[in-house]
Amino acid sequence: MEILTKSFVALWQVLAVGLLLGAGLPALFALGLRSLSSGRVVVTEGPAPQSKASALGLTGAVVCFAILGLAVAFGIIVIIFGKQLFG
Amino acid sequence: MYTWIATDELWMNLAGRTFRWSTAQPTLPHACNVTEAFFILAVVIVTALAFDFTNGFHDTGNAMATSIATGALRPKVAVALSAVLNLVGAFLSIEVALTVSNKVVNIQGADGSPVTALMGVPILTIVFAGLVGGILWNLATWLLGLPSSSSHALFGGLIGAAIAALGTDGVKWDGVISSIVIPAVAAPIVAGLVAAVGTWLIYRIAATVPDQRREQGFRWGQIGSASLVSLAHGTNDAQKTMGVITLALIAYGSWTDLHAVPFWVKGACAVAIAAGTYVGGWRVIRTLGKGLVEIASPQGMAAEASSAAIILSSSHLGMALSTTHVATGSILGSGVGRKGAAVRWAVAGRMVVAWVITLPAAALVGALCWFLADTISGALGVAVVFVILLAAAVAIFQHSRKAPIDAANVNDEWQDGLAPATTEPAKVLV
Repeated sequence: MEILTKSFVALWQVLAVGLLLGAGLPALFALGLRSLSSGRVVVTEGPAPQSKASALGLTGAVVCFAILGLAVAFGIIVIIFGKQLFG
Repeated sequence: MYTWIATDELWMNLAGRTFRWSTAQPTLPHACNVTEAFFILAVVIVTALAFDFTNGFHDTGNAMATSIATGALRPKVAVALSAVLNLVGAFLSIEVALTVSNKVVNIQGADGSPVTALMGVPILTIVFAGLVGGILWNLATWLLGLPSSSSHALFGGLIGAAIAALGTDGVKWDGVISSIVIPAVAAPIVAGLVAAVGTWLIYRIAATVPDQRREQGFRWGQIGSASLVSLAHGTNDAQKTMGVITLALIAYGSWTDLHAVPFWVKGACAVAIAAGTYVGGWRVIRTLGKGLVEIASPQGMAAEASSAAIILSSSHLGMALSTTHVATGSILGSGVGRKGAAVRWAVAGRMVVAWVITLPAAALVGALCWFLADTISGALGVAVVFVILLAAAVAIFQHSRKAPIDAANVNDEWQDGLAPATTEPAKVLV
């Protein structure tokens, strides 16, 4: 019974982190692409879709991809030093 | 061959050498001379590296199947990238996974040193039989194109060998439940859910992005997340083989440090897993990339990101999940999360069957190998089992040539079976 309780707690955490990073980061990537592609991501009343990204769109995309870059770097740190960091 | 000298002593003449068994002093049931012990050690190391190789090629698809299926990377480029990342990942590992067997069997102490009673040839034989069980299961599932966990195959083999050698007390049944059964059930569900949510979000957010740009953009995201999965795989899985080989060296007596792995072991394991990855388990890649779900690059990215996040976090949150189970669940989830995507549940069902059978099947092989090696005993016993392993591996490889799958046809249309329609009838495959 104790095994089940412990497993349930661990799984709940895995699911939460999974949703946050595993689903959230791809969503951020999509947001970056959308931003890059249309420039309409932040303001809905912005210009119509165009082939070149607006300055606002470009900024949004850079922010999104920068966060993703940090997340990947964090991922690599976890791969190498995971045990030291989290036990 | 042997004669009774006294009531409690058994002498045996084997290949010109004389061995003595004494029932009065049962401390060394497999008394061997040094040359024989060294031979057994060498066979164990070769077998462990062979397992590492099958581990690599069986799991290439976990990271790269979706990138290959969506055309984000050409097949050969994908396996080459994955191989390099596995190699780098293996060298990055600073952990010593010496206690890897402790989760499921009682052959090592808490610090990783072998149990005193098993020191020497007995523990080498158990580990050897376990590895053979793991390798044969990996090869059999590869032949059928079914992704199955290499770790579970290894644990299965070790459990079987431990039961054969030590009885049911040799197994930590609590550990089997908490670190094998529950994770195997939970992994695909959790990963599937995360990937489904990710896929759904992605398609909603990127709905206004022109189709071609969306496909292009997500290919990059897919390659990035798949690379992270490959790197983590190299670190995690090569570590296990390093632990097994180091354990063998300790059992033999040529290594004593419980907190370090000899550098040559690290190098050999890194090369073995990378070589296996590069050879590419095309059969498994095909099932994962084409068989389960018709996949587009946004789904591919959602699947790989889900896999990467779960694989990297799960072990630190108290429940290590198998890369294979997570990757498969993620790919399924990416099909569920996209409106109108086809998911072949029959293929998924066959995988589930394979996962359920993995542990008992590998355990059975492990137990049989241990009995055979123990009955013949000594170096000859281990050698006989090794020859059987080689013969079985060659037979499985020959069988795979009847409907070969490689970089050229891995992406062919999926038509109710692993074998592409362009080859001979698919009756050789279940």
